[in-house]
Amino acid sequence: MRLGLVIDLDTCVGCHACAVACKEWNTSGTTAPLTDYNPYGAKPSGVWFNRIRHYEIGEYPYNKTVNFPMSCMHCENAECVTVCPTGASHKRPEDGIVLVDQSKCMGCNYCSWACPYGARELDRVSGTMKKCTLCIDRIYDMEIPEEERQPACVLTCPAHARMFGDFDDPESPVSRAVRERGGYQLMPELNYDPSNHYLPPRVHAPIPTEGLKKKAGAKVKEWVNRVVER
Amino acid sequence: MHAALAVIFLTLFSGGGFGLMALVAIVNDLHIDGGLSPIQTLAAVILSLIFVTIGMLSSTAHLANPKNAWRAFTRWRTSWLAREGIFAVAYYPFAFAYLVWTFVTGAPDATVGLILASLAGVIGLITIFCQGMIYAVLRTIRQWNTALVPANFYAMGLAIGATLLAAVRIVTGESAGVFVGIAIALIAAVAVMKAIYYFWIARPSGPTIRTATGFNRFTVRILDQGHTFGTFLTEEFGHTLARDKARGIKLMMYFFAVIVPIIALAFAVAYQSAVAAVIAAVSIVFGLGVERWLFFVEAQHVVNLYHGRQRC
Amino acid sequence: MATVMEFEDHKKQEIKYSTCYMCACRCGIKVTVEDNKVRFIQGNRNHPINQGVLCAKGSAGIMKQYSPAKLRNPLRRKPGTERGAGEFEEISWEEALDTLTKRLEHIRATDPNKLAYFTGRDQMQALTGLWAQQFGTLNWSAHGGFCSVNMATAGLYMLGHAFWEFGDPDWDRTKYFMLWGVAEDHSSNPMKIGLEKLKRNGGKFVGVNPARTGYQAIADEWVPIRPGTDGMFALSMVHVLLQNEQFDWDFLLRYTNAPFLVVNTPGQKGDGLIWRDAEGHPLVWDLEQQAYVNGMQPGVKAALFGEFQTPDGRPVRTIMSILAERYLDDRYSPANASKITGIPAETIERLALEMAHVAFKESIEIEVEWTDWAGRKHDKFIGRPVSMHAMRGISAHSNGMQAARAIHLVQILLGTIDCPGGFRAKAPYPKPVPPPNKPAQHSAPNTPLKSLPLGFPTAPEDLVIDENGNPKRIDKAYSWEAPIANHGLMHMVITNAVNKDPYGIDTLIFFMANMSWNSTMNTANVQEMLKAKDENGEYKIPFLVVIDAFHSEMVNFGDLILPDTTYLERYDSISLLDRPISEPDAICDSIRHPILKPDRNVRPWQDVMVELGGRLKLPAFTKEDGTPKYSGYKDFIANFERAPGIGFLAGWRGKDGETHLRGEPNPNQWDRYIENQGFFQYHLPKSQRFYRFANKEYLELAQRVGFNPTADPIIIELYSEAFQRFRLAGQGLYDGPMPKDPVDRERLATYFDPLPDFYEPLEQQRIDKKEYPFFAVNQRPMMMYHSWDSQNAWLRQIIAQNYLYMNRQRGEQMGIQDKSWVWVESHNGKIRVQVKLIEGCQEDTVWTWNAIGKQSGAWGLKPDAAEATRGFLMNHLISELLPPKQGERRLTNSDPITGQAAWYDLMVKIYPAAPGEEGTWPTFPTMKPLPGDTPAPDVLRYHTHKPVNLKS
Repeated sequence: MRLGLVIDLDTCVGCHACAVACKEWNTSGTTAPLTDYNPYGAKPSGVWFNRIRHYEIGEYPYNKTVNFPMSCMHCENAECVTVCPTGASHKRPEDGIVLVDQSKCMGCNYCSWACPYGARELDRVSGTMKKCTLCIDRIYDMEIPEEERQPACVLTCPAHARMFGDFDDPESPVSRAVRERGGYQLMPELNYDPSNHYLPPRVHAPIPTEGLKKKAGAKVKEWVNRVVER
Repeated sequence: MHAALAVIFLTLFSGGGFGLMALVAIVNDLHIDGGLSPIQTLAAVILSLIFVTIGMLSSTAHLANPKNAWRAFTRWRTSWLAREGIFAVAYYPFAFAYLVWTFVTGAPDATVGLILASLAGVIGLITIFCQGMIYAVLRTIRQWNTALVPANFYAMGLAIGATLLAAVRIVTGESAGVFVGIAIALIAAVAVMKAIYYFWIARPSGPTIRTATGFNRFTVRILDQGHTFGTFLTEEFGHTLARDKARGIKLMMYFFAVIVPIIALAFAVAYQSAVAAVIAAVSIVFGLGVERWLFFVEAQHVVNLYHGRQRC
Repeated sequence: MATVMEFEDHKKQEIKYSTCYMCACRCGIKVTVEDNKVRFIQGNRNHPINQGVLCAKGSAGIMKQYSPAKLRNPLRRKPGTERGAGEFEEISWEEALDTLTKRLEHIRATDPNKLAYFTGRDQMQALTGLWAQQFGTLNWSAHGGFCSVNMATAGLYMLGHAFWEFGDPDWDRTKYFMLWGVAEDHSSNPMKIGLEKLKRNGGKFVGVNPARTGYQAIADEWVPIRPGTDGMFALSMVHVLLQNEQFDWDFLLRYTNAPFLVVNTPGQKGDGLIWRDAEGHPLVWDLEQQAYVNGMQPGVKAALFGEFQTPDGRPVRTIMSILAERYLDDRYSPANASKITGIPAETIERLALEMAHVAFKESIEIEVEWTDWAGRKHDKFIGRPVSMHAMRGISAHSNGMQAARAIHLVQILLGTIDCPGGFRAKAPYPKPVPPPNKPAQHSAPNTPLKSLPLGFPTAPEDLVIDENGNPKRIDKAYSWEAPIANHGLMHMVITNAVNKDPYGIDTLIFFMANMSWNSTMNTANVQEMLKAKDENGEYKIPFLVVIDAFHSEMVNFGDLILPDTTYLERYDSISLLDRPISEPDAICDSIRHPILKPDRNVRPWQDVMVELGGRLKLPAFTKEDGTPKYSGYKDFIANFERAPGIGFLAGWRGKDGETHLRGEPNPNQWDRYIENQGFFQYHLPKSQRFYRFANKEYLELAQRVGFNPTADPIIIELYSEAFQRFRLAGQGLYDGPMPKDPVDRERLATYFDPLPDFYEPLEQQRIDKKEYPFFAVNQRPMMMYHSWDSQNAWLRQIIAQNYLYMNRQRGEQMGIQDKSWVWVESHNGKIRVQVKLIEGCQEDTVWTWNAIGKQSGAWGLKPDAAEATRGFLMNHLISELLPPKQGERRLTNSDPITGQAAWYDLMVKIYPAAPGEEGTWPTFPTMKPLPGDTPAPDVLRYHTHKPVNLKS
């Protein structure tokens, strides 16, 4: 299995629902808590596994706003794991999920340096590196109803811009979506082979209007009444 | 990148310490300029140990969760950081043994001593390589992802070592022409290597905000990074340096790391001036400290693309 | 899955279902509770509104629950201290309610209008309105007057349903969706779910908005429009549709008043009114009979176009003729509209024709037998899959009412009303155009009002004015200044009360309304007004009661503070009598129930209101023996009947809980709701899901369950006779009350156009646009919309500072640098703010996120919070009054028809701040902490259990 996410940039409205749901689940999750610094102070900050950036593509008036959620890509070539000196970072062979064992991490930050996608954030209070677990404590927990055994971000996404599944299965919804919609990986040139894929905005075909145009403009008095029963 | 003092000190001091140890071994092995006296050997090895220890201690200061530091040796199969830790630790017994040997026997050039010195020196050199590779393997930071990094680390570690060794020689009142010559040559090598490095990283290459987002054919600008204030990512990776400011600091770096040490060493050897020798040593450490700071600050992690940087 | 893993202990956890209240969307939530702490809030998969999803606000509910800003005890302004100084002392509930009861008893016995009771973002107006009616004060409304009254009113005076919460696009079937303006408010998750469906189905999404953010980001086409010109854009599309004869003849003839004949006698009484027979039926010209006949008869074959003469010689025209003549005029041509709206003429024409193409060439049919209003059977519903949504961006202009009507006009011409793929109604809508209830007009001591204070005037006789034509309400709603102010004018209450115009009041109650900060115009001056004293040293507003759950800026000005609970701690009903959560296919309502025990001395305001009702012996809350009728809110909701069998909750009625929608009270009704995950839905049969304005089965159901008084068909009004009556009053041609002040006469004559029309927003008519060249608007970010929650520890990490957004090219031309500080100046004041240059901003517009700026010390934030030092309010620039004009009394800065606050009419100039001028300006003194406040923590590590570690 190669578990991961597909993010649909055509429908992501940038509402941050996934980010907050992630925060909410994981602050009591396996790497809990996700510390917040100055939560009510001058410059609030904290540990998040999922952050939404917003970009503008093109120039006015031909610009488009693109909302861009990012979390751990669970890369096939997970350099964060390769570089980890303690073995805290690991990639599970059975499903490809990249995790950090909180009991082993020494907080050297090295894995975060190796990650091109900003997926890892140091919790300055616990001194350990934390990251998206793909909600491993949801997806395998048999006490959670089956249809809810999904990452919290996927479960909550109001625009259904997030899909979760197995990329090794060519018929899984994520594999199909990538195939059909031209899903792509970020920064492929670095060759991390991230599992998560992004679906580009759809291009809408023009709607035909020429046939509707009347040659001469209408004048009220010229309309012939039609008989319609009230 | 955030230039944490702890990380700067790690490679700066331990690199110098390993460089010094390697040079002690070479000088005594090859009996260069008559080799080092027992006192000089003792002083040099102690200095090496101090430098390496400063580096090692500050590296643990950098850890957010140091109680797990012992685990850092476990992943030596894949992690250059783990390898560095192992070799750095392996250096100690040999360096110590050589120190004790020299102290007890007063014969730093005896075979057993030389074997110990050579092992410590070689391990030190390997450690410098590992340190370089910690940075050089990161594809996320193009300024580091080059063979020039370990090469530079060698040049700089050896230059510090040679300057220290020359200083030891001068302070102990012995002729130091050859040592100063070696030091100046190594410092000159640093100047050239560093120049090559700066030339190398000045050429933009690698990912851009377009490849980072996948919108390859359009202008891409950040509208909002999704958090008003800093995060771990911006604090760790967000640092930059304006080009003209960087130029000024580089000149300063060359001044302290190259020009002052060369002049001071020349002066020291000419006038047998211990003060000048010490100035040379302090200056090169300071200058290369500035270099290491620049090394971090100028390193532009690709995650910055997601925060709006057009290229790194 | 080879690894054996350990999971969190669910045995300690309990699952409860309720309704979110982080905004006005009202999604179903599934809450996991662990040791009286919230482990997880997620969307309820079975809930009709959100179908399992939940937005950022909803998930951040945890941080609302644990906010350090929560009020803990009833508070009284410390005797001897000044209002606004923030010096409070804790008092008991008994003392608080005794004080309040005494004061209110006296007011009620003398002049009930001396109590003004205005509520903010609550969702319990059925109860607060009933309470005010029982108390006998005319001075009640919720905050709709500064929110969305234009949308509600436009729809209800035209379609019988409306944007806002009364209708939805048919997301499953629509193929073309046009979104007008900001919309991230009321229907937040359904809109997101719907947009994805639309896109998945290959539909086109067009966003009309000066800013490309929020939902507009994913629009297939973005139409950057100048703020306040949407009406012109819509009417120009009407022009294009008419010009190319792209309108739905059948729909117009069958379901609208398009064929009705209107008297055309300009300058005479009766001009512009519908020609009616002796029984009052509208007359049409029957093409077959070649005669005038009652247009309400089935089978009439009415002429859509034509000019005729009445037997007594008066010229009459069909409404459609008037309409076509109006909009075919060159004034509405795309070329002219382009100059006003900034949208290229080709774009206007193309978009109109694209919609016509989808409506008429891609129409859909649903094969279901249904019966029309006249009892005729049809075998299918015809769908015109074009839909629209509009909200505050249209609403918050002084021409918003007419703009919203213009948008509805496009929808009607395309035949897209309550049809498959179109703009569907949600129960209890559609209602008659307009709904039949009228506002209460008279108040008397110790007497309930005859009806609710709010209603729907259709003629000057319905206004709430005295014999001299002066307003009887403190907010001047239903006066000549705002005749159809169906949601009141909350934004005028403080100003009018302080000016004693039309009179002074004694007690002002604000519930959940931040009227000294982001919910008021002219914030700095309003704060001064709240503190203003008369010549005797008495406060001009003598007694100010604030009910809130949090330490808001408004709390700071209260004389008496009553602390409310959070939404996880109380009972609530989201009632069909109020602002229901129905879906187009189902009649729905829902509840909240206590999931957590409050840890402070707080009480739900509903409970307190019911108790006050008993203490004051308000008839609806009192038994015949004078004792309180209800033990509390829960009891009230279960047992109160507005009409026999009709109560607040529609599900599981009847003694045994077996009847729905209408039936006797059920003592176990709350339990049934709780068992059923907190909501009730009655699925409409397939035959009742469309054309409900003319769908016999549905209309009969609506009558039976009390939505509508009759089962008569609802006629869609392209042309509003009600408006024409007001216009005639302005023209001096009305048989009934007419205004004396020429200002009022002119406003009625100008703006009460019976057809939708465009006029320049009122404030802009008086502003030198050379001096103030930029339109300035604001919106709330999606993750905070309607959540009044910038103090939320998680949400504020996303946005804790707002910027002034400006078109990049325009900013660069002006020499304004990205992230620099600038002054923004309007006729009313100036502010210093930080600029961000972006692409997604119309070039004549600047905008910002509203309500990010906070007063230092408010909302549990530390005094140096970015919200106070760098965030800002645009409110300072906006005046609640129009710029003065010679010989004219000061007029409200509102829509002249509805009294809707014209937030978005603002024009500003922008210039760089001097070097070194940084930080937001104006700033306000730091609010003092309340008694017993514990300082907010520096580090927050919220969790409900020790983590289960995953070993490598």
